[in-house]
Amino acid sequence: MSERPTFSNCAGVGTEPVIALDGVAKSFAGFRVIEDLSFRVRRGEIVTLLGRTGAGKTTVLNLVMGTLQPDAGSVRVAGHDPFLQFKALRGHMAVSFQTDRLLPWRTAVENAELGLLILGRPKREAREIAASWLDRVGLSGAENRYVHELSGGMRQRVSLARALAVDPELVLLDESFSQLDHITSSALRRDFCNLARQFEKTCLMVTHRIDDAIEMADRVIVLGAKARIRLEATVPSASAVGQTRDGLRRDIEIALGPEAEQESSQQERG
Amino acid sequence: MEGLAPRPAARPAAIGDIVAMSVVVIAILVTMHVVSGFVPDYIMPSPAAVAKAGWKILTGDMLHVMATVGRLMLALLFSMVAGVLIGLIMGVSASIRPFLRALVVIDTGIPALSWILLAVFWFKDPEVRIFFILTMILLPFYALNTYDGIRALPKDLVDMIESFRPSRWQIVRYLIAPHIVPYILLTTKTVVGYATRMVIFAELVAAAVGIGSRMGLAQSSFHIDEVMAWTFLLVVLNMILQLIVSGVEKIALKWRPEASVR
Ligand SMILES: Nc1ncnc2c1ncn2[C@@H]1O[C@H](COP(=O)(O)OP(=O)(O)OP(=O)(O)O)[C@@H](O)[C@H]1O
Ligand SMILES: [Mg+2]
Repeated sequence: MSERPTFSNCAGVGTEPVIALDGVAKSFAGFRVIEDLSFRVRRGEIVTLLGRTGAGKTTVLNLVMGTLQPDAGSVRVAGHDPFLQFKALRGHMAVSFQTDRLLPWRTAVENAELGLLILGRPKREAREIAASWLDRVGLSGAENRYVHELSGGMRQRVSLARALAVDPELVLLDESFSQLDHITSSALRRDFCNLARQFEKTCLMVTHRIDDAIEMADRVIVLGAKARIRLEATVPSASAVGQTRDGLRRDIEIALGPEAEQESSQQERG
Repeated sequence: MEGLAPRPAARPAAIGDIVAMSVVVIAILVTMHVVSGFVPDYIMPSPAAVAKAGWKILTGDMLHVMATVGRLMLALLFSMVAGVLIGLIMGVSASIRPFLRALVVIDTGIPALSWILLAVFWFKDPEVRIFFILTMILLPFYALNTYDGIRALPKDLVDMIESFRPSRWQIVRYLIAPHIVPYILLTTKTVVGYATRMVIFAELVAAAVGIGSRMGLAQSSFHIDEVMAWTFLLVVLNMILQLIVSGVEKIALKWRPEASVR
């Protein structure tokens, strides 16, 4: 139990991408949400999904997580089918959802340790790990508060600690901070990416903020209607000549379409 | 109309309740006293006579009170456990659900009196009779409310816990069980008064020990003061039970924001 298999030894090949989507299609009640989507995420990479509301970003994350099955094409996570081999990826993935989704009858630390308990870690060990993650996301002192005693930002941090505490190789992050004010959400996103880099996590995240996407990700994927890829670009380093971050920013704005900027700022304001 | 008024703070409301209760009790006692001066004792005994009978009960008949309370507790506990289990199975297994549901629906349609009469035919032992009657009446409440609770589970939370890829048992343990606790408590709160009335009624017909049978005895020997004293005692007993359930609720639901506990 203590020696959990890592992605490399459960998938066998180290060079294999952590996430691989090939020709994926998905409809809901005859309504096509994803038409033909293929992309890869390599180990240790932070990839941002951008796209207008309804583009299908959450659906993509659900497919990767294995709670949805594609109608066509294949989804592979570390070589496994996340839907059909649901249990095989136990402990390897964690999700931070669009809303905090904390259990109201558990305190902050009890929420943060939930994943560890499900993975069968001993109670005391789980508690220690959860408390150290709460500390890392800046919540020491609030461990024993119930959910209704926490602010929105604190709840998001607990939810982040819950995802990271299980030490997953792959973290999925869905636009978690959009309901918070701009400064808090940017700070949280930055904290998250720093932690992800520090602990060498592979990370697929959804965001509406172009600035944050450029600043934090290694690569940006812009989805249009029916999750068609409009733009896929590696983020240039801050000091790069040639393709610069400003250039990428303009490209993303164009790929998102004319209302993009207006829309994303509306969403930040809630 | 009342819902729109601002909630009064907790403490003054509690004192207000006690004052109101005292006023009503005193008014009842005064009315009894006045009426008992005009009618014969076997219609309305004086409060003093009732108090005397009450004292006799408290000093001599506690065994019967204990028997009734014990039966009530045992049946409540069993119905809770069995009902919650049935509700859980209804919530978790789509193939068994319609059958259990049909059973529960049929059960809720059977009048309490039928169960009482049937129990007298079917069982000799009075304890079994009363246990059977109460269980048949109480169990569907727990089963249906538990099932409702499971149906009301937020999809968001189910997805969240599923993302950790738990076993079925872990979903029950970490999500479903804590989620249905408020439903179980609410059910208990609503059925406890009903259950008290039912156990008395069942005892009257089916047992020789217990409050119900003592009340039957008092009635058949024209001791209306005793009937009155038992009645008062039952009212007090019901209040105590309600208080206990509310207390348990306060402790078990301490994670809730203050407003929803009241
Ligand atoms: N379970 C479902 N049943 C039916 N339709 C769905 C379901 N989930 C998503 N959809 C539809 O699929 C489309 C894409 O939804 P999705 O949640 O993936 O968008 P999104 O890109 O995450 O949007 P947002 O930025 O607003 O979160 C929407 O039109 C939505 O109505
Ligand atoms: Mg979404």
